[in-house]
Amino acid sequence: MVNEMKVAFATEEKNGLDSIVSTKFGRVAYFVIVELDNDKKIKDNYIIVNPGGEARSGAAIKAVQKLLEEKVAVVVAGAFGPNALVALDEMNIKHIVLSGVKVSEALGQITDKL
Amino acid sequence: MIISVSGGKGGTGKSTVMVNIAILLAQKYSLVLADLDVEDPNDHILLGVKLENREPINIMLPFVDYKKCIKCRACGNVCDTGAMLLSPEGIPYVIPRLCSGCRACYYVCPTKAIEEGKRTIGYTYLTNVDMDGISFKLVSGELIEGEEHTPPAVIAAKERALNIDAEIHLIDTSAGTSNTVATAFDNSKIVLAVTEPTPLGLHDLELILKLTSLMKIKTFIVINRAGIGPEDDHVKLSRQYGSEIIARIPYSRDVVESYIKGKPIVLYKKDSKISQIFYDIVNYLEEVVNDD
Repeated sequence: MVNEMKVAFATEEKNGLDSIVSTKFGRVAYFVIVELDNDKKIKDNYIIVNPGGEARSGAAIKAVQKLLEEKVAVVVAGAFGPNALVALDEMNIKHIVLSGVKVSEALGQITDKL
Repeated sequence: MIISVSGGKGGTGKSTVMVNIAILLAQKYSLVLADLDVEDPNDHILLGVKLENREPINIMLPFVDYKKCIKCRACGNVCDTGAMLLSPEGIPYVIPRLCSGCRACYYVCPTKAIEEGKRTIGYTYLTNVDMDGISFKLVSGELIEGEEHTPPAVIAAKERALNIDAEIHLIDTSAGTSNTVATAFDNSKIVLAVTEPTPLGLHDLELILKLTSLMKIKTFIVINRAGIGPEDDHVKLSRQYGSEIIARIPYSRDVVESYIKGKPIVLYKKDSKISQIFYDIVNYLEEVVNDD
């Protein structure tokens, strides 16, 4: 049975659920982490800094590593590079391509994919 | 003796200057030309020759012996390039394309679970150039497309060039002032900084002069495409860094023609004004060398 899950949204802002989802993944500044309950309702949300944002190389890998620490199951961003896709796939984190809307709106659009 | 050519800005004429100087110097001295612009080596194109004697450039690639791995995360934590991804349980997963072959994971692993494999990131070539009775050797370094780590390729090509006995080693560097260029400059006696009278040419010239002054290498400036813009600030920089402007190469149709023919101008049109400037540069370099 699927339990509570965490979804990460790539963003350049620190506006919680009002943050706009970025086109970037590996070098994006922050992730908004949204915790959903069994009914896919928002339980909590918080912002983490993406260590890949300042990385000299392997930014996407550092981002994925951080998402693993946070036990994120799904990540949403506008685009994913080749290194990101290899790492996400290998670590069984689902990725969804979407950007330019608020986190709250994005969540509404992807609920059926979760 | 090692003489390097650089200049910061891409497309400023570094390689054109280099191949022409190589041909003139090779008339008097045994010479090796090293093309260390590994992301886009093109001296062979300007010389109209095909690259020969390919050898692979290999770097270390870690393999994990999962029976020995104790999931301590040391390898992933020490990795600077993101090539060592750790699963939530701490199991390392190697992403070859990102690995620079630095061996940090190998040294840090407490159970010797990292084994040394290897990976080819590029090739070096050794080509015998023989044009109109003038011969010298060309060593070129070439990074495989998609590879990110240029320094190992530069070092490998430079080593192959320096291992060949010669009176003069000429080194053609890539654009920019990255560690790739600094690695290429290392042990050079003279750097020729090729620039042009444009704002970007000026900007990148200053970066090169800063780099060579830090590395304490005597540097001379060659202004290519002279006449297309003001040179006042170039002259100021020259004074500030004590780097003499030894030649000004004007924009010329002869150069374009020689480029199209795939034959360096000092061979294609010996009596061209431009060829004479290359003779002057070489005479100047010889004087400096003989003074030492």
